[in-house]
Amino acid sequence: MKAAALDLRDRRLAICLGPGGVGKTTLSAAIALNAALSGLAVDVMTVDPAPRLLDALGLEGDAAAPRPVALDGLGAARSGRLRAMKLDPKRMFDLLVERHAPSAAARDAILSDRIYRNLSNAMAGVADYMAIEQLLELHRRDPKSLIVLDTPPAREALDFLDAPRRMLELLNSRALTLLGASREMMRGPLALFDLAARGVLSAFDRLTGLHLLTDVQAFVRRFEGMYAGFAERAAEAQTLIRDPRTFIIVVTTAEIDRIDQAREFVAALDTMGLRTDAVAVKRVTAPMPDMAEIERAELPRALKRKLMRNFEDFSALKQRETAALRHLRDALPSATRTIVAQDLGREPRALKDLAEIAIGLRL
Amino acid sequence: MALPRLTFVTGKGGTGKSTIAAALAVALARRRPTTLADLDQRLSAARVLGAKLNGAGAAQVDDNLEVIALDPRSELESFITRIVPFKAVSRRMLKSRTFGYVTAALPGLEAFLMLERLRLIAGAAAAEDRFAVIDAPATGNALELLGVAKGVAQLAPFGTLNRLAAEVEEFLTDAHRFGVVLTLRPEELALREAIDAASNLRTQLGIVNVAAVLNGVAAPLFTAAEISKLGVVGAHAGLARRRRAAAEFAAHAKRDLERLCSTVVETPMMFEPIFGRDALETLADALAPALTFE
Repeated sequence: MKAAALDLRDRRLAICLGPGGVGKTTLSAAIALNAALSGLAVDVMTVDPAPRLLDALGLEGDAAAPRPVALDGLGAARSGRLRAMKLDPKRMFDLLVERHAPSAAARDAILSDRIYRNLSNAMAGVADYMAIEQLLELHRRDPKSLIVLDTPPAREALDFLDAPRRMLELLNSRALTLLGASREMMRGPLALFDLAARGVLSAFDRLTGLHLLTDVQAFVRRFEGMYAGFAERAAEAQTLIRDPRTFIIVVTTAEIDRIDQAREFVAALDTMGLRTDAVAVKRVTAPMPDMAEIERAELPRALKRKLMRNFEDFSALKQRETAALRHLRDALPSATRTIVAQDLGREPRALKDLAEIAIGLRL
Repeated sequence: MALPRLTFVTGKGGTGKSTIAAALAVALARRRPTTLADLDQRLSAARVLGAKLNGAGAAQVDDNLEVIALDPRSELESFITRIVPFKAVSRRMLKSRTFGYVTAALPGLEAFLMLERLRLIAGAAAAEDRFAVIDAPATGNALELLGVAKGVAQLAPFGTLNRLAAEVEEFLTDAHRFGVVLTLRPEELALREAIDAASNLRTQLGIVNVAAVLNGVAAPLFTAAEISKLGVVGAHAGLARRRRAAAEFAAHAKRDLERLCSTVVETPMMFEPIFGRDALETLADALAPALTFE
């Protein structure tokens, strides 16, 4: 087995976190491919992949279930296999409702509910939570394989990892009880304060013209039979995320602002008691060629001058990048590795482009 | 293109959105008092300018340029204090967790109030002959934010919010008050996203004042004939080819964007070891000719 930049043999889950636009999805796919080529059984779940990457992974059309990716010709170890899928949060949410609703009537009532449609379309955190649900499903189906998880773009590191806790908090809150769940669900008597809050809410409703309160109450009642299941899986996801066999990767590019953001992510994870195993820096430009080559070449002087100018321009960029990388390495805890992915100079179009990134991953 | 009182700068992550927002504010501030408002919680645009915000979330960068932070939560608070007649009631309401959950379940509400705030900023700017630039979220979230007024109008068929929704929609579609700048780099993915966004803004949201900033465009430096002679210099040939290909792609991107955007401005690739205030002024120089003051 070839020594991989990342040894994920004993891991069950690798989570890629990071802000939008850094190439998290491509990197997740590259890491998954790297592990598969080294002989592991890997599932990669992508979020909103670019069309080219979809093609590269063979995920065009409906790919809400894992599909095998053919590794022929890439020199994969024999035991290696890769399956890929893409996350569809709205569909996942509907699926959960269908599966866990106590009756067909309850299911239809929820799916057509105004609040539910709003919630499942737009609420920040729903995509995060659905990614977690999807993860659990993959994990249950095949607990021995490695899952590489791409995550929705986040402003803060915790957006994703915290989704199950936030969901649990919402489900356990008095707010829901207060808003209209049945008497049996209530935990303790209603405080005077809550009654006041209810009065205030209905005043707000009248003033704004939203007429929300009744709808929210109806929604909460419709969801009543489903809370226990949600809470149970949220707890299960927390356990999986905190398992020592889970590998957490923060993805960034070599621009100083993104590096700062990555450092903030690492610090935020640390306050949650989670260790960042690696920071992956995407699109790092290849080492600069030797300047003397231009001097030696037999070329017209004007062209040599242009080559020199081009060399100087790219060197300035490389210098900026190197400074940013140093800034990153200096700030990271010693247990956190830095992984560098070379810039291909083009967008990955085919699986072999992805393999080039995967094989080129360096510590 | 009419120079709108308020310019909403958005783009794919990593295309230099905050940098361009800051450079645009610098360019405007050379001619008129300008406010740069950061919708990004990390205050990226403020950082580009090196502005440290005070406790109230504002900073004066120079005589003509101020930076402010916009926070959705405080918009909700000021809205409630405005519409609820009694202070004691509004305070109690804001403190209630129940209320927090209801508004969280209605994600559109905070976003909508942010749009209402932008409308007020543009109104104040027109009255004082100022300009405002917004460092907005990345494209996907930005489109969701701009689309929220339509949703609110449906959700609240009458009452305060319904009235406001109509005013916000009128504001967004008024080229003199509101404009969008889409930032992109000369890369395939960014171009595709910008084109989709430009057409969505027009057809779905009726936003007519849409411009694009093609950021990081380098001079091609080499002709095709020169490139063909470079076999002897190995990796240097690769760098030369890359440079020319990027410039060619930029030209093609500009043509595509011009079909959908009223203005397309190119800003140069900054080959600098450190990106500082000088670099920002250079970007502002590139943007300035596209700004037509009345």
